[in-house]
Amino acid sequence: MNETPISRGFRSRRQEQDAKNRLPPGQYVTRDFPVLSAGPTPQTKVEDWTFALQLGASRLGKWNWAEFDALPQTTIKTDIHCVTKWSKFDTAWQGVTFDDLLSAVGLTEPAEPYIMAHCDGGYTTNIPVEDLIDGKGMVVTRYEGLPIPPAHGGPARLLVPHLYFWKSAKWVRSLRFMEQDERGFWESLGYHNYGDPWKEQRYDGD
Amino acid sequence: MGAMTDNDSDFVLDGNAAAGLLQEIFVLEITTAQIQCEACDSREVVGTLRLHAAPMGAVLRCPHCDATLMRAVKTPHGRWLEMTAARCLRF
Amino acid sequence: MIETAAAPTRRLEWQVAEVREIVVETFRVKSLLLHVPGWQGHLPGQHVDIRLTAEDGYQAQRSYSIASPPEDELLSLTVEKVDNGEVSPYLVGDIRAGDQFELRGPIGGYFVWTVAMRGPLWLIAGGSGIAPLMAMLRHRSRRKVRNPALLLYSSRSLEDVIYREELDAMARRDPDLRVINTLTRKQPEGWKGYRRRIDKGLLAEACFPSERNPNIFVCGPTSLVEAASGFLVELGHEPRTIKTERFGPSGWAP
Repeated sequence: MNETPISRGFRSRRQEQDAKNRLPPGQYVTRDFPVLSAGPTPQTKVEDWTFALQLGASRLGKWNWAEFDALPQTTIKTDIHCVTKWSKFDTAWQGVTFDDLLSAVGLTEPAEPYIMAHCDGGYTTNIPVEDLIDGKGMVVTRYEGLPIPPAHGGPARLLVPHLYFWKSAKWVRSLRFMEQDERGFWESLGYHNYGDPWKEQRYDGD
Repeated sequence: MGAMTDNDSDFVLDGNAAAGLLQEIFVLEITTAQIQCEACDSREVVGTLRLHAAPMGAVLRCPHCDATLMRAVKTPHGRWLEMTAARCLRF
Repeated sequence: MIETAAAPTRRLEWQVAEVREIVVETFRVKSLLLHVPGWQGHLPGQHVDIRLTAEDGYQAQRSYSIASPPEDELLSLTVEKVDNGEVSPYLVGDIRAGDQFELRGPIGGYFVWTVAMRGPLWLIAGGSGIAPLMAMLRHRSRRKVRNPALLLYSSRSLEDVIYREELDAMARRDPDLRVINTLTRKQPEGWKGYRRRIDKGLLAEACFPSERNPNIFVCGPTSLVEAASGFLVELGHEPRTIKTERFGPSGWAP
């Protein structure tokens, strides 16, 4: 009988953790902060950094670092979940909520139903605006009170903690409104278009 | 502990490390295949490409200009391969 | 010109490997000697994927370099225990002779050396990166080939030098093989060897000069591999003579 051999005594990490209600299915808790990047780390200096909100060809708003830091700041403590199965509890971030970005450019509601995040190094990810408003999405510039190191997405990254962490795009430089949904870097290569960790939406077809 | 300060270039591997995944797709030996970069015209063997993002998939970049030459992902629903910035592969 | 001995490709199928023997190499490192029925052979430098399946069906997959030469009957994988790792603590801590897991390979025709390749052989290793290079040295020794060979091996301390006795014995009986250790953190009393990380100066001293056109293989943590290959190019070695195998971040804090 040709069966997969069981490796005696091998256990997955998740069995060794408390099965808290905070842990989505298939995840394990880590105290580390693993790094995963699709390319070399961009080395954008804050003096050169700008961030923009785009609608088609037009720019709704653009900020340099000082201007961005002068926007209303929000701090948040949240759990994050990576599709590679690690979860990290109680991560502390500071930055500007998507709601405050909309206010800053005079929008009372989002201009289109979808956003594409564009990042230094070419990474992209797509998110419905419904998942960014009401405090659900932020552009963050501090982790645990300190500037975010480049390896973890600094100077600024997107933070959308209720979705798998590949949606919290590192090195974000602009958010572009889209009328139709388009798939970003991982979404166009087999990963789930939405990515809800509580429904274990890791891959396209899950 | 201390992983917040990890240099993420430490996580880069060689194309050779993606061979397990790629050999599920290619019939011929892939790590010695020559690949031409569309962006900078250089030719290298796949084994020398820089491999990023290994836990999520294989993102293979040109060692000269960092252009993404190949991307591959294996999911429970199938395998994906994309080679937009590569001009050709020669086995 | 470097010949890349491309291994003939067969469909990679998962096979069952059974642990026959476990060798303690260092405090954190063990070698697993495996019986793989139907194993079709490999070239020194290649690796395998292994897959462990827990009783609940959970699976984890990792890659390990083959440390044994093709001349050996049993396949040897040398595993270093990574703190908080998922797989290595099992392989270095729990696994026993008679246990089984799945394995597929050999994989990777690029990072390969055989005695058919002429010229001096220069191997540069950091930590567990010695494993695929050891397959090359064991192959060279078994085939009794006498091309000049040099191993430059960086470890934290003498206790961390994997295969230390075997390497000493190889070097003693083979005048064409030099083994140079550098111990970066702790050195025994009276140590006269290198006591620092591999840098350009070290590579300029413990080397084959570029005119001799050595086949160079560098394996270990990514940071060591990138530094060493950069220095080698600065020292005049052609990039195409340098083959690298990055292992990713080093297993534990330096």
